[in-house]
Amino acid sequence: MKTGKQRALYVLQNFLLIVYAIFALFPLIWMVLITFKSDTEVFTTTFLFHPTLANYQEVLLRSNYARYILDSVIVSGGAVLVSVIVGVPAAYALARYNFPRKEELAFQILSYKFAPEILVVLPLFMIYQKIGLYDSYVGLIWVYQLISLPLLIWVVRGYFEDISVEIEYAAQVDGYSWYQIFFKMLVPLIKPGLVSSALLAFIFAWNSFTFPLILSSNKVYPVTVAIMKYLGTDSAHYGQLAVASTVSALPAVIFALCIQKHLVRGLSFGAVKG
Amino acid sequence: MARIQLENVKKAFGKVQALDGITIDVKDKEFFVLFGPAGAGKTTILNCIAGIAMPEEGVVKFGDEVMNLTDPAHRNVAMVFENYALYPQMTVYDNMASALRSKLYKASEEEIAERIQWAAKTMKMENLLERLPSQLSNGQKQRVAMGRALVRTPNVFLMDEPLAHLDAKLRNSMRTELKEMQANLGSTCIYVTHDFMEAMALGDRIAIINKGKIVQIGTGDEIYYMPCNEFTAQLMGEPQINIFEATVAATNDGFDAKINVCGEEITLALPKDDNVYSKIKEQGMVRCDIGIRPQNVKYSFEPKEGYFKSTVYSYESIGNKSVIVAECGDYQLRMIAPNGLNVEIDSDVYIKLEMDHIILFDFESKEYIVRYDEASFIALAASKEEE
Repeated sequence: MKTGKQRALYVLQNFLLIVYAIFALFPLIWMVLITFKSDTEVFTTTFLFHPTLANYQEVLLRSNYARYILDSVIVSGGAVLVSVIVGVPAAYALARYNFPRKEELAFQILSYKFAPEILVVLPLFMIYQKIGLYDSYVGLIWVYQLISLPLLIWVVRGYFEDISVEIEYAAQVDGYSWYQIFFKMLVPLIKPGLVSSALLAFIFAWNSFTFPLILSSNKVYPVTVAIMKYLGTDSAHYGQLAVASTVSALPAVIFALCIQKHLVRGLSFGAVKG
Repeated sequence: MARIQLENVKKAFGKVQALDGITIDVKDKEFFVLFGPAGAGKTTILNCIAGIAMPEEGVVKFGDEVMNLTDPAHRNVAMVFENYALYPQMTVYDNMASALRSKLYKASEEEIAERIQWAAKTMKMENLLERLPSQLSNGQKQRVAMGRALVRTPNVFLMDEPLAHLDAKLRNSMRTELKEMQANLGSTCIYVTHDFMEAMALGDRIAIINKGKIVQIGTGDEIYYMPCNEFTAQLMGEPQINIFEATVAATNDGFDAKINVCGEEITLALPKDDNVYSKIKEQGMVRCDIGIRPQNVKYSFEPKEGYFKSTVYSYESIGNKSVIVAECGDYQLRMIAPNGLNVEIDSDVYIKLEMDHIILFDFESKEYIVRYDEASFIALAASKEEE
């Protein structure tokens, strides 16, 4: 039986959690509500309005919104893919091999994230103009490595370091080649780290605004930049803006839900003497 | 199965010389034990044989084949790692099957199942096959690591303290089991341990390793009765051998040894033994170190003829017997006593050394010189060798 004091504490706890949940979710809920409002009703603060799908029609059917989403998928997905292909071997090397100035190299990789994007984007703009990477998929995917690669390398490196090197030796003695060991023994063990860092890298790349704003114009049009279009020069269509934002948030959410089951930690525990 | 040879193998990690000219010759089907203190380089020797570590100098041979440039996968060795190194994402069954599922050592699934059943039964872990390593205790993990090696038919089994984490009862039964299994499989086995009992019980031959060098190689009896120096003598035997200084003086018909007990000089006659006497004469020995095993030290709590007096430092049980440690000034004497004696610390104890069982070591170099009854121990070792 719970005492009165415990019960009061329990109620208080839940009350605070509910307050926090409302605080955290309210902007999102409000945004979703706006998507169903007409431009005239956008500024009313009551929950009573005449729902309409006009904004959705306008954004999804009568503009190039699908193309913007596709561009975002290509550059963000491409950036994560490149990061995984490059970053996993790099993380392995940083975790396993000893070479001169190893820690300095690792720190340098991390330092790419230190500078504000706005600081590096201007020189990059001029370089990209010169070498023809301006407004191209390759150009954006490349510059997104500044966002995704350091994250992935540092997280995955930690996972590799957690794996006892004797496990690799044991597999060698068991008759496996290095590639077989890597894919059969190591990849399953780093999977939680790889999945979570890839997911984060994807979200960061997806939300990136400064780079695509400056480094692309017509040919490549990620959704973060495209949303600006609905803030017209003469009038702001807040309803359409809300639709564009809401829809652009969906892929990351769906992606996260799909791979949630891979985000389990603790697989690598229990292999060696503890 | 193969003969394993290491010739002058050297391996350094940075500035630390882990192996400094190791030469061993393990015969086909031999059970060879590497025995030494922690950090002696035992595991590094195994790694060099398995191909995990590359020696900077020297040759590793399996049979007549030089293996230095062969990678671990193609050497066909089965290794039990000290920290188990199980694959955490696989069940016990898959762990044990892993070698037999690789391209190099492929076996049919029926054969794999059969061999795993056999190994699981021998290691008493049939009920664990479906578990993941994280669900096992350390002792169970160690048995899985053993099982993973045993299902194979390799050139050589390399075992790095495979019984260290089992409970005492299981360890004893495994020890017996292992020896029998090795004899039945007809396999070469190189076994690392720092447990003296294990080394004695299992090894056809034992190599004593210290600081990256081989100190002595021989059968258990050879090393126990004729240790090549004081280090080996102290390593082999539980409780440890007693070693103390003595001066040697000639008498009318033989020699006396004089030792210092709590500041008092005690004279002990060295019994006649032609071999010992001739060695003493040959060297013109004045000072030496005397080694005597605890079972050859007799005690009494009453003054007796031929016993000298000392005081009890400690009395503790080591299972079915106890050890009395007596204070003798700069050193202490250990002796075996039955359990359940009423011994008080600091009480008087009278000690007699059975001088016809002593081993003489050089005072300076601490090397073995001679022991009593040497010929019979050489004969004993030779007869074991023939078997």
